Amino acid sequence: MSLQILPRGKWVGARVKRVEDPRFLTGEARYLADLQIPGTVHAAFVRSPYGHARIRRIDTSAARALPGVLAVFTAEDVATLPPLASGLPIEGLKPTPQTVLAKDKVRFVGEAVAVVVAENRYIAEDAAELVAVDYEPLPAVTDAERAMAPDAPLLHEDLGTNVVYQKVITLGDVDGAFAQADRIFRRRFHTNRFVAAPMETRGCLSVYERSSGHLTFYSSTQMPHMLRLFLSLFLGIPEHKVRVISPEVGGGFGQKMTIYPEEVVIAYLGKVLGRPVKWVEDRRENLAAATHAKEQIIELEAAVRNDGKVLGLKARLIGDGGAYSFNTASALIEPLAAAGIIPGVYDIQAYQHEVIAVCTNKAPVGAFRAVGWTAAQTARELFFDEIARELGLDPAEFRRRNVITSDQFPYTTITGMVYDSGSYQESLERALELVGYEELRRRQAELRQQGRYLGIGISLYVEPTAWGSEIALQAGFPFPSHDNATVTIDPTGKVRVAVSVHSHGQGHETTLAQVAAEILGVSIDDVIVEHGDTDRAPWGMGTYASRSAVIGGGMVALAAQEVREKVLRVASRLLEVAPEDLEIQEGNVFVRGAPDRSLSLFQVAFAAYLDGRVRAEGEEPLLSATKFYDPRATYSNGCIVTVCEVDGETGTVHLDKIVAVEDCGTMLNPMIVEGQVMGAIAQGIGGALFEAMVYDENGQLLTDTFVTYALPTATEVPELIIEHLETPSPVTIGGIKGIGEGGLLATPASVAGAVLDAIWPAGRAIEQLPLTPERVLRALGGELGV
Amino acid sequence: MERVPITVTVNGRRISAVVEPRMTLADFLREELGLTGTKLGCEHGVCGSCTVLWDGAAVRSCLVLAAQADGATITTIEGLATDGTLHPVQEAFWEAHALQCGFCTPGMVLTAVALLAENPNPSEEEIREALSGNLCRCTGYQNIVRAVQLAARHERADT
Repeated sequence: MSLQILPRGKWVGARVKRVEDPRFLTGEARYLADLQIPGTVHAAFVRSPYGHARIRRIDTSAARALPGVLAVFTAEDVATLPPLASGLPIEGLKPTPQTVLAKDKVRFVGEAVAVVVAENRYIAEDAAELVAVDYEPLPAVTDAERAMAPDAPLLHEDLGTNVVYQKVITLGDVDGAFAQADRIFRRRFHTNRFVAAPMETRGCLSVYERSSGHLTFYSSTQMPHMLRLFLSLFLGIPEHKVRVISPEVGGGFGQKMTIYPEEVVIAYLGKVLGRPVKWVEDRRENLAAATHAKEQIIELEAAVRNDGKVLGLKARLIGDGGAYSFNTASALIEPLAAAGIIPGVYDIQAYQHEVIAVCTNKAPVGAFRAVGWTAAQTARELFFDEIARELGLDPAEFRRRNVITSDQFPYTTITGMVYDSGSYQESLERALELVGYEELRRRQAELRQQGRYLGIGISLYVEPTAWGSEIALQAGFPFPSHDNATVTIDPTGKVRVAVSVHSHGQGHETTLAQVAAEILGVSIDDVIVEHGDTDRAPWGMGTYASRSAVIGGGMVALAAQEVREKVLRVASRLLEVAPEDLEIQEGNVFVRGAPDRSLSLFQVAFAAYLDGRVRAEGEEPLLSATKFYDPRATYSNGCIVTVCEVDGETGTVHLDKIVAVEDCGTMLNPMIVEGQVMGAIAQGIGGALFEAMVYDENGQLLTDTFVTYALPTATEVPELIIEHLETPSPVTIGGIKGIGEGGLLATPASVAGAVLDAIWPAGRAIEQLPLTPERVLRALGGELGV
Repeated sequence: MERVPITVTVNGRRISAVVEPRMTLADFLREELGLTGTKLGCEHGVCGSCTVLWDGAAVRSCLVLAAQADGATITTIEGLATDGTLHPVQEAFWEAHALQCGFCTPGMVLTAVALLAENPNPSEEEIREALSGNLCRCTGYQNIVRAVQLAARHERADT
């Protein structure tokens, strides 16, 4: 197999406008909530108002008596459904199974206790309020370190501890590194718990046909085939009788990877009630009960020479996993992923990490763009800034002295990641040049004289992408996977591409069509990409972890290449020349050097399907191929530099601009790459400055609306300057690397770094994100407003 | 609850209906009229996904009742393109890659239409201010701002 299979020409690499856009622009696109199936009834969940409580009794009689109510189910009524539990075989991770409706105890605000089904949503919500649950409140624990104490309230009593995982790993000569160091530095950071908050909340619709035993399940999910597999196992419906359709999905960012208890409940209700059952969560439910992310307590220690060379690192990473570590080993994903990436782009030869996962009375943690890596990057980059300053070095110079250089590729990190290629130092230098770094430093000094606080933050990053079997293993998650594409040319010569990766904003209908069009020599207008329906797309994992460009692009390239060969074989018989002498361009197959000897794809395809004479013995008539791809590990990289000014009076941060230089190898469509980068940067701004899920000590959630949980708006996001470097991967098809997560991986470190830089040395006092005006002002020692 | 008769013009069509007093305008448009292009992202008036034009002004349809719309002229995203031709703002959003998942797009587009009707030549700051009541989680807003600038240029060129 040639890795150069992906040519770059008319389509690959072009700024093609998205073919999917018109239906979104006109309101024709149908999301889950927009689907209407006759006879549908509506579900509303009764959720815990307590962070930790025993359920004494549930009285559903008043709810059942309300006209229009069909059913009220509690844990007893769904007792045949198995609990959700982690499926990853990770040694030492204690199981914390979660029943799909809370049984005996609730462990976080928002946990589903009962479900009401009624003729419409208004009645369902009325009835949910009539369900009387008698709770006995229990002491709650909402801080991961407090939860580790021997006398802490226990979430899962049978475990005897809230610590579900704890392991120390030593790599290289850590003692030696610390013994040789001129200086030892230490720092603690508590990164904030923030959430994906896709604009479309979760939702699902269960349609069960009793006569055939066939379940059609619509869900706002990123992983239709995985959901089908799990629903089959949970409900005991054979998999071939389950169809999952993920319609338009209004953003996921990882939150819609998880198989949720609500999905299992709604699927089951559809089966037992014999009516289509629909559930669309409201925003409060989404903020309280959909997975949270990114909260860790990270303590770092560095052994450093006076010239700035880092000899060794130690990290203690405590993941605040929330109430349950369910189906994606969720309490562990943050600290384990973080541990692997702490060395980052730097040449670190000795490293010890302790990974701890803890349960607390907060919502369970799940994936959110750059899982674990955001917290790790933030802690390490802020720490390195401080070390640089303590040593009297410029933070950029400190990075130069430690960064992995291009002559070191392929580079195997101390944690076992194999960086295939990249432009680490180059992206740093280019970003500094674009932002006008030297001049800014001069300006900063001038403004300081005037009592103004200008800051510059540098975040230099590497992003693991192409999430297949190899990179999952390198990142610490033994999770083999692959994805599949079927490329078909129909008898009229039009191209159908069906893929297992799912698009919920990424634009696959355009980018993957670009790949097929390039290889098959047709216009993108003659290609359609199908995804999101398990009956129409081949099996595969779905979309997460910056994998779809690499894996999707690769598998479509392989399948299209095979179909191209079939086309050329048929055409060679029709034109009586060797296949090697044929070309396909603009939908026509022609003899190289003799363009007048040509056939349209229509003619070739029509003959392939309907004229047996063009087939050799044993050849298939269909111009179709299904190919899988499970790529080698590949790593993107980049550098994000933020310039900000802090108002010393109010503690507010004004962002002047953000420069991002990124390198994702071969770009399928630079316009879409830029969109991914800009969107992820905005989320990173939110994470650095505004967004935090806040619980009080009783486990009460204080941030359950978009008023109290503030997302960045158009007025908070500054000018974003994006520039591309292009270092194709030597190990993936076409040299593609992923790009989905780098912006959120690196921006919080860049923005927070700029703020701390602006107010240094006062920034030393800041340990916790986000950098709210209150935290900034406290660090500056200023007065808090009355 | 006694149901309320209303007459409302939606996308140029005069519609008479009888609604529950507590039904929101958003639910009326989506559930009763099948105009599901109007999106519900928060149902508490922050995200702006449910924005419609009410006598030309951008209004959050999750915060008003259908009963209050009696006599009003409403334009939803479905009413913007004419005879299959995209409105200049829709065209500009496409051109500038101003949408990804598309969920906030109807509200963003209608907010931009209302802005440009009032101020055909807005500065970048004015555009950002006008859009600040609409949340987008995908794009980082920059391309949306560019799209509004592009639409403003096109509309000026056309008049």
